[in-house]
Amino acid sequence: MSSTMISSHIPDLDLITSYAQREGTFFSRVSPWTKFTGLFLVVLLITLTRNLVICGVLYLIILGVYASAGLPVKKLFAWYTLPVLFVISLVGIMVWTEPGTPLFSWDLGLVTLTLTDNGVILIFTLLLKALISVTYSLFFLMTTRYQHFSAMIYRIFPAPLDQIFLLAYRFLFLTLSMTGAIFKAVRSRGGGIIRSIRVQGRIFAEVFALVFIRSFDRAERVHQAMIARGYNGKYEAGTVIPKPGFSGIFLMSAFACAIAIIVLGMPNPGGFF
Amino acid sequence: MAHIHLEDGSFSLFFALVWWTAAIVLVGIAVWLMRSEKKPDRRRITLAAFCTAAAFAIFQVSLPFFGGVHINLTPLIGILAGPAAGSLVVLIINILSAAIGHGGWGLIGANTVINIVEVFVGFTCFHLLKSTIPDLFSRAGIATLAGLFCGNIVMILIIIISGVQGVNQSTGQILTGLSLIAAVNMGVAVIEAFITGLVVAYIGKVRPDLLGIERS
Repeated sequence: MSSTMISSHIPDLDLITSYAQREGTFFSRVSPWTKFTGLFLVVLLITLTRNLVICGVLYLIILGVYASAGLPVKKLFAWYTLPVLFVISLVGIMVWTEPGTPLFSWDLGLVTLTLTDNGVILIFTLLLKALISVTYSLFFLMTTRYQHFSAMIYRIFPAPLDQIFLLAYRFLFLTLSMTGAIFKAVRSRGGGIIRSIRVQGRIFAEVFALVFIRSFDRAERVHQAMIARGYNGKYEAGTVIPKPGFSGIFLMSAFACAIAIIVLGMPNPGGFF
Repeated sequence: MAHIHLEDGSFSLFFALVWWTAAIVLVGIAVWLMRSEKKPDRRRITLAAFCTAAAFAIFQVSLPFFGGVHINLTPLIGILAGPAAGSLVVLIINILSAAIGHGGWGLIGANTVINIVEVFVGFTCFHLLKSTIPDLFSRAGIATLAGLFCGNIVMILIIIISGVQGVNQSTGQILTGLSLIAAVNMGVAVIEAFITGLVVAYIGKVRPDLLGIERS
């Protein structure tokens, strides 16, 4: 657990960036634009298909690519906690009255909750879609250098959005580390012990306020330092992003064609409206 | 903050694009407002960037209430950064969140629309109530509750309009389920209002200039 890590169930940005900067895998040399197109196509496919088998196969392929890149699989499963909880917290409520063949019912007096086969398929489909998206996103983050991400942000977003994004991305590591340190200090002084909601709320509020105030103080200091070094309101990320190679273009074109065949070839694809 | 805790593939392509378009329009207006300032405030960009980093860091902290909840302080972002910069801040937070699995890429548009409503309502209430409620704690708390209440309503409307792919329930059944989520969200909103009130009161004491208050 690195110093910037606040909760173990949330992806550790230090570890992610460390893998990305190490460039120890073949996928690190693939153009970031190719991987970005891949992300777009993956999201498009899971938006357009409701087929559990297609989602399952896609998940296994992406997990295989992630593992073959030498990225930490055990950590990935720990990081699944958040998306899995999110899907269950919302869809878990909706599955109970889903039409279909009843599997079991739960009589609550005023209302009877029934779980059907369609409800179970729905929750598994949405869970798989969530895991596909998260796994590919983390694969993208962990195989793409910080400088390339910065250059992509600079090229994609208009000013001043790109400026806020670039500075925030740079400050993120400092702020996470600072927040982690404050919480460590609070816990080491007995702040983690649950008392009343009021006391607990006040402790957390003071920590959050401190994070904001220290962030603003730091922002002002950094701003002054940047001006002293010639900052004129434009933070440029001029790193050259490697262009997609022939194999990358071919792979993404093949993936796009596969999506078209899968979606148009299915009798009732759905997903469009 | 209200946030659609659904991943990619929950909304159909059409509705994912609809909400993305709505978010791009709102963010476009914010960008245009910031660009059209006669004298661009460079310091505000740096402050907004740190506000983004701080809000994203706080968003990762699980609070030990009701088994663990998280807050995003979107109305606080509105109060501190203003509605224009605040709109850009919430878009960036949603992109960073999607990158680590907190909400899908396709849902960034819908979540940004919800958060912009929270930022705007939070900011507006905080400034409109200035003369009526001078106390910072109460004013920030009320502004936060109002912002999060509106955000919740927009969240329910977006899910009802868009539907969730594969869910074949009637609007009434979906509304019943969503009401339960909205009730939990409002419970968390009370905690967030309390915390935001304390944060703003604390900032008011230590750095009143951040709230546009002259030091006495």
